[in-house]
Amino acid sequence: MTTTIDPENLPFVSETSVSVEIETEGMILNIGPQHPSTHGVLRLVAKVDGEKISNVEPVLGYMHRGYEKLAEVRTYPQITTLVNRIDWVSGFCNEIPFIAATEKLMEVEVPERAKYIRLMLTEMARIASHFVFNGAYPLEIGALTPLFYAMEDRERVLDLIESVTGGRFHPNFNRIGGVKPAAGAGPATKKDIQDLPAGFYKETRDAMETILLACDKFEDLVGGNEVFVARTKGVGVLPPEVATAYGVSGPILRASGIKFDLRTTTDYLPYKDFDYDIPIGENGDCFDRWFVRLQEIRESAKIVLQAIDSIPSGPLQAKVPKIIKVPAGECYVRAENPKGEMGYHLISEGGLGPYRLKIRTASFSNISVLPWILEGVLIPDLLAIMGSFDFVLGDVDR
Amino acid sequence: MNQSESNSILENLASIFAKTSNDYDTLKIYVENDEWVQTATKLKEEHGFVFFSWLSAVDWENEVSVGDPPKEHVDPSFEILCCLSDVSDGNFAILSTKIEKTNPTITSLIEVFPGSNWHEREAYEMFGISFVGHPNLTKLYLPDGFEGNPLLKSYELLTREVKPWPGEVDVEPMPESDISSESEKEK
Repeated sequence: MTTTIDPENLPFVSETSVSVEIETEGMILNIGPQHPSTHGVLRLVAKVDGEKISNVEPVLGYMHRGYEKLAEVRTYPQITTLVNRIDWVSGFCNEIPFIAATEKLMEVEVPERAKYIRLMLTEMARIASHFVFNGAYPLEIGALTPLFYAMEDRERVLDLIESVTGGRFHPNFNRIGGVKPAAGAGPATKKDIQDLPAGFYKETRDAMETILLACDKFEDLVGGNEVFVARTKGVGVLPPEVATAYGVSGPILRASGIKFDLRTTTDYLPYKDFDYDIPIGENGDCFDRWFVRLQEIRESAKIVLQAIDSIPSGPLQAKVPKIIKVPAGECYVRAENPKGEMGYHLISEGGLGPYRLKIRTASFSNISVLPWILEGVLIPDLLAIMGSFDFVLGDVDR
Repeated sequence: MNQSESNSILENLASIFAKTSNDYDTLKIYVENDEWVQTATKLKEEHGFVFFSWLSAVDWENEVSVGDPPKEHVDPSFEILCCLSDVSDGNFAILSTKIEKTNPTITSLIEVFPGSNWHEREAYEMFGISFVGHPNLTKLYLPDGFEGNPLLKSYELLTREVKPWPGEVDVEPMPESDISSESEKEK
C-alpha cells in the first residue's frame, strides 16, 4: 500500500512556514579584511538580500606600500628587490619585465644562456604559483586533501629555485644584463665563474616528470570530484568582452576563450624557440579557470624540459657599467605572469633611478571585475568565484 | 604573427594619427585632451584595441623633491597615459595627453572601458586629477583623512627628508676599489 501526502492537509506544518514569499530585509555584510578566503587583506562590503548579493564594493589599500613612489628614490638595481615583493607567490616573474625594460632603454644584449635561465625559472615560478592555486582553491570549496599534494609538488619547484638563486620566494636573482652567479655552484673568481649548481639538470628533469604525473593526479582528484564540479561548473561566467573591457588578463581571460598569451606575442624571453600549447576554456566559468591553470602547469613543465635539453653555453652577464645609469627614454615592457599581464612603464631621465615607474599588475585589473561578476550571485558562490580569480593582495595594492 | 606583420600594423596606426612616436617598441599616440575619449573609442571600435591595460599619469615638473629632475626644461603639466591592447596579436598603443596643472580635469573613460574605474581613482588620489563623469571618484588606497597627493614630484618622502638621496650607503665604493686604495696608501 502506498501513502500519498496531500500538501494541503499536512498535520505538522503550519500555514505560515510553507509560505515561499518570505519578506527579507536588505543588509550590509562586511567580509574581511581578515578573512581566510580573501588571500590577504581584501575587504568586501556586500549588500545582501537573504543569500543573494545585490552589490559588492571591494575596499583596497590595506597592503599598499607605495612602490611607484619608492621606485623614484631608488637606483635601478635596488628596485629589483622591491618588485620581487609585488606578487610574492611568483616573485621571480616580477623581476623579468622590469629588468627587460631597463635593458631595452640601455640597449644591452643579454647572453642567450642568461635568457634561458630566466625562462626556466619563470616557468618554475609559474608552476609554483599554479600549485598554490590548485591547493588553495579546492580548500575554499571544502576539499582539504588537494592542498597537501599541491604543497608537496610545489616544494619540489621551490627547492630547485632555491638551489639556483638562494631564495625560495624572493630570489632577487636578475641583474641588468644577465643573471647573478648561481648560489652554491663553486667559487666566484673570474676564471671559474659560477653557473647552475651541480646536478641541476637531473633534478629538474626528475621534478618535472613528477609534476607531469601530479597533474594527472589532480585532474582525477579535483576534476573528478562531483562536489567540486557542481560548485564550479556554470558558476561565475565571465564573457570575453567584459573581461577585455576590464583588463582581465592571464588564465582568467584565456578561460573565457580568448587566446591571448604575451609569451607568444612579445620577445622579452625566447619563448619562440619552444613548442607548447596555450590552453583556453570554453565557458569562462570557475571550472574552466581551474582547468586552464592545471593545463598551464603541464605546458610549463614541458617548456622547462625542453629548455634543459637546449640550453646554450656561454656567459651569464653582458658587459654593463658598474654604476647603472639608464639613458633618457620611455618604454613599456610587459610579460605574461602566472596571474596575467604584468608590465612596467619606465620613464628615465638619464639618472640613477627612474623619473617615473608605472607598475601594471595583473591582480589589480583582474579583481576590478568583481563588482560586475558578483552581482546577483549567492554567498557560497562568492567564495568559489573569488577563489577562482587567484589574486594576491600584494599584486593588487603594490 | 611575425615581427614584420606586427610592425606594419603599428606603422599603419602611426600614419592615421597626427602625432605619434614609436621608440623602444612603445607606440605612443599624442592627442589633445578634448579628443581623449573619442580617440580611445576609435581605437577600440575601429582598430581592435579592446583590451584595457592601464591608465596612469606622470607629473612633469622641473623642481623635484626626490630623485632626479628632467634633463631638459619641461612645461609643468600632467601627462595622462592610457595603454590599450589588441588581444588577437598582442600589439599595444599608449594614448597620451597633457593637461594643465592649474586645471587638472579630464573626461573619464569609464563609458568606453569600465575597467578604467579603479585606475582613475588611483590617479585621482595620487596626483589630484579629477575625472569628469566618474561615478565614484573617491580614494582607492589611501586612508580617509590622508592629505596630499603622494605621487606628485613636490611630495616629499619622510625618510628622504631625514637622509637625503643618495644616502651614504648608496655611494659606498665597491669592495675591490676599497682594497686597492688602501694598498696604494700603504705604498
